[in-house]
Amino acid sequence: MSGAKKIIQTQVLVIGGGATGTGVARDLALRGVKVILIEKNDLNSGASGANHGLLHSGARYVHSDAEAAMECRAEGLILKQIAPHCIEETGGLFVAVPGDDEAYIADFPRMCERSGIPCRPLDLKDARQMEPSLSQDIIAAFGVEDGAIDPFKLAIENLTQALDLGGEYFDHARLEEFTIKNHGIVNARIFNTKTRETFFIKADTYVSATGAWAGQMATLAGISIPMVYSKGSLLVTGKRMATRVINRLRKASDGDILVPGGVVSIIGTTSVRTDSPDGIYPSVEEVDLIINQGKQMIPALGTRRYIRAYCGVRPLVKAGGDDDRKLSRGFSLLDHAKDGVDNLITITSGKLTTFRLMAEKTSDMVCEKLGISSACRTRDLPLPVTSTGEWTEPGVSLRQGFHLSDKEDTMLCECEMVPASAIDSIVSDIRRNGGKPDLLSIALRSRLGKGPCQGSACSVRVLSHLYNKGEISGSEGMEGLRRFLNERWKGEHALLWGTSLAQSSLKEMIHCGLFGMELGERKIE
Amino acid sequence: MTGHRDINCDLLVIGAGFSGMVAAARAASLGLKTVLAGNSGSLLFVSGLLDYLGVYPMDSGVTLDDPSQGLVRLKKDLPGHPYAVTGHGKIIQGFEFVKEILGKAGFSYYLSSQKNLSILTSMGTVKPSFMVPKTMIKGNILFKERKKLLLIDIKGLQGFSARQVAAGLENRFSEIKTLSVEIPNIRKAVPPIVLAGFFEDFEVQKAFVNQVLPFSDKFDIAGMPAVCGVNNSLGIQQKLEEMTGMDLFEIPGIPPSIPGLRLKNAFEKTLTASGVRLLSNIHIKAPVFNGKKFTLTGETDTRELAIGAKGVILATGRFPGGGLHARRERIVETVFRLNIAQPVNRSLWHGLDFLSRQGHLINRAGIETDQWFRPLDERDRPVFQHLYAVGSILAHNDWIRLKSGSGVSLVSACAAVDSFYQSLGKVKP
Repeated sequence: MSGAKKIIQTQVLVIGGGATGTGVARDLALRGVKVILIEKNDLNSGASGANHGLLHSGARYVHSDAEAAMECRAEGLILKQIAPHCIEETGGLFVAVPGDDEAYIADFPRMCERSGIPCRPLDLKDARQMEPSLSQDIIAAFGVEDGAIDPFKLAIENLTQALDLGGEYFDHARLEEFTIKNHGIVNARIFNTKTRETFFIKADTYVSATGAWAGQMATLAGISIPMVYSKGSLLVTGKRMATRVINRLRKASDGDILVPGGVVSIIGTTSVRTDSPDGIYPSVEEVDLIINQGKQMIPALGTRRYIRAYCGVRPLVKAGGDDDRKLSRGFSLLDHAKDGVDNLITITSGKLTTFRLMAEKTSDMVCEKLGISSACRTRDLPLPVTSTGEWTEPGVSLRQGFHLSDKEDTMLCECEMVPASAIDSIVSDIRRNGGKPDLLSIALRSRLGKGPCQGSACSVRVLSHLYNKGEISGSEGMEGLRRFLNERWKGEHALLWGTSLAQSSLKEMIHCGLFGMELGERKIE
Repeated sequence: MTGHRDINCDLLVIGAGFSGMVAAARAASLGLKTVLAGNSGSLLFVSGLLDYLGVYPMDSGVTLDDPSQGLVRLKKDLPGHPYAVTGHGKIIQGFEFVKEILGKAGFSYYLSSQKNLSILTSMGTVKPSFMVPKTMIKGNILFKERKKLLLIDIKGLQGFSARQVAAGLENRFSEIKTLSVEIPNIRKAVPPIVLAGFFEDFEVQKAFVNQVLPFSDKFDIAGMPAVCGVNNSLGIQQKLEEMTGMDLFEIPGIPPSIPGLRLKNAFEKTLTASGVRLLSNIHIKAPVFNGKKFTLTGETDTRELAIGAKGVILATGRFPGGGLHARRERIVETVFRLNIAQPVNRSLWHGLDFLSRQGHLINRAGIETDQWFRPLDERDRPVFQHLYAVGSILAHNDWIRLKSGSGVSLVSACAAVDSFYQSLGKVKP
């Protein structure tokens, strides 16, 4: 070991830039704790960015997990208070179609009542009037208090406040090794996958908020956490299909929740066991399953254009049984002192709706270890509204597009109306946080490439813009474009029929037919 | 329903993309009474480069120096490929035919004698092609002679950055410089079609020249986006060359493509002059064959008309052109409901790597034909004696990966028309 190695000191190192990790970073920063957050890819690259964006009323869990239902109810109310700018209070419906379990339908109000979840029976005609896209065949309908939440905005706002309070953040920073001595982690070796730089972080306490990768992270500390990986796929419709969240009134199954996300809707999910949280993609079979189930509630789902498919992995700590949905969605908070590593904590599983509570409980445990007595403030303190979060909310880009005031400003993405000024502000945000802008990191923070053209023209326009601004040089642009196209492809290839296929063919004509992007030397990542 | 507006012809060509245009021109050159029906807007999506065979085998990952060498191997390996029923001589004749008809309409092309040309793209990559607009040809010699290169972009033209093109060429030249030219009165984004129109204006040409002139001593040659006028692009380029004292070449990029627009204009000009009846923005449907001739319905926004034809050429393209339509379960042909050779289910359509060298199986789906390009039914018999399919709709032909789109289109279009002509008992003039 040479004396020249770069070591950064902190009180707490949080590993994983999802909802939980950013939530823990904010919670600790608010208690005056010095915290560093590292993320191996980019914000919300895991399940936090690959879910419905559903703020659960709790009604979904009244049958399988009454406790989780109550937790959702309580946390939902808090989030509506502290983060209204991340939430659309849409309300929700539970509807049943012919063939659904009548006993479950009859029992539903009682189950809701047991968990204290507000639920009111609806006249079928009224329900169809509230949501005209509902099937004419529905046999039961209830109103609940579900909502929509923007997970990207949520993570960015949490992180932004943590940074404002003196925290630090590194993306593309992969934890490679823990040095462990005398029942404690001495330091962590980090590798920056973009700059190829290695550095060390020395913390008093380490928090693994790595979601589906919690098992792998624990292994680095010589600890075993038995994990089950359950892949869930979701589809994004081209247009918004309903005002409210629409749930199928039955035991949790495939393709049974439709959630509005600004100008689009999201239908899912599936539950497929996988061996690993990496290298997953939505399959053609899952896509067909979701559509065929979803169209029973909402017939237009059978004919609608879909713009994207994506999937995440539910990180479930192993309990047994066949149906992964029956495993607890409650979270797992593990103090690894019992495993012989005194200063490591794992927080995993749970739901987006309960991320704040998970962060609170984790931070309580951290503070106990550090001997700090300051109390959690996230229950009451509003989440600040910052401009950094502006471009992640679906629909915002559209409104901004119509208010182009600067005569020099030009539209780079015509499908989603993303102007050059928006790209520039995203780029400077990325730079401010120590990142390096490329198409993928910009796409994560905007609707770039998510429109009907699937990113065929806007990718080239934004790339040229970045070259002209001197933001990228040399072969970076080409490599970044390949990464962007391949990442986009993961969510695209299972949805290609009708006009989407025609658009995708055009993209292939441009990028392969003319530019020959598939030829020549390629860096394999 | 018939009326006085209804049409009768020898040959109806459905589809006004590249292959439909070539087929109609060929038919007119043989004296056939020809109708061309379709939306020629699709030509705005083509680069204007006319390829023969740029890559073979596909997984080689490199471009072919001599396409005729690749053709020999391809014909042996892929008996179902449209090139398998033709040969190098026929392909060259097809290129010569297209060069001649476009030249007559004022759009000058350069046809290679044997080797693929190396054409610089706006991505900074090099694309193999065989016949290219003369305004692009001077770029071809760049790579052999290691010239001192000036790369020009134009402020307001999106998707084209001289710096980006230069980045792709690092280490290949002794000297590269980038220059952003400002055109008067362009403050923000300008559509390429508008910009190309501006270049026909002498004041704009002067402004361009004044900004380039300071570099003309230090550099041998300059590349610029393909916006050098819509009409008379070669003439405008020559004028700019005279005024700057530099060689110039155009660099193709993303649609909408000005070279594509020049192609559309040139084809329409030559077809109109040779008596082909053009029906644009029309949807052709409901084909009926009465044993002697076809009758199809042409539907526009305002009316329907009946088109009678002794022969029909289907040049409707693939998914973007509308010749093929993909349902969730299978791919269908949209006019005649012809049999489509295709993978057994959708999960086989696409691979997991968008940029894989092997390409995606869906791009090999399409119409299988006999040696005269007549579509076959499930029992491998021609569906009709005088129905032909040409261009990208043909099966076993991944033109995107093979860089063979124009070659397959023109050779199949010429062969199908010639075959129809001969089957009418006529002899080639």
